[in-house]
Amino acid sequence: MGENELLNQVNKIFIDVLDNEDIILTKNTTAKDVTEWDSLTHIQLIVAIEKHFKIRFISSEIRNWKNVGEMCLCIANKLNK
Amino acid sequence: MIQPGKTFSHGYIIDDSVYQGFINIFLDRNPLHTSIEFAKKKGFISTVMHGNILNGFLSHFIGECLPTKNVIIHSQEIHYLKPVYLNDALELKVIVLDFFESVKTVEFKFHFNNQFKMKVAKGKFSIGLI
Repeated sequence: MGENELLNQVNKIFIDVLDNEDIILTKNTTAKDVTEWDSLTHIQLIVAIEKHFKIRFISSEIRNWKNVGEMCLCIANKLNK
Repeated sequence: MIQPGKTFSHGYIIDDSVYQGFINIFLDRNPLHTSIEFAKKKGFISTVMHGNILNGFLSHFIGECLPTKNVIIHSQEIHYLKPVYLNDALELKVIVLDFFESVKTVEFKFHFNNQFKMKVAKGKFSIGLI
């Protein structure tokens, strides 16, 4: 899966979980850029992403992400294993 | 607690104190719940208990019956399959579906059986371990 396709799928998950059709993610997007992305919805997002891609994160991985780009890189690395 | 497949169960009775307590707190006196005549006209054998009483039982189960009290509910969905009547004895059966270690979240599915072993409601809920 290419970078753009991966980001597009993650974007769709964000739209669905956060119930906001206007969300447009970039690699540089952070929680500060998305109104609905808070500590509680973050959990929902992670669960939805793990289910969608059939992968599992560990808590230390999540803590180290600085933006959506790093999240997508982590997903890509797991998908490519 | 968090191993997928692990099961739990707990019994509940919708007695008059539960029924009247629910009405007194939430003020839902819809005739389906309070008028036997109305309920029978609609095809039920008696007044139908409020479906959300079962949500109260779920709240009790999540808050009091799991192996840890360090929980917070994230989400819950319930489907009502059969009417429940006053003094029905329900058994709540819960099974762990999945555990998401990264965000310390556990997903469960559940169903309620009545005293006739009929499934009267089913659903899922998700909790966080805090």
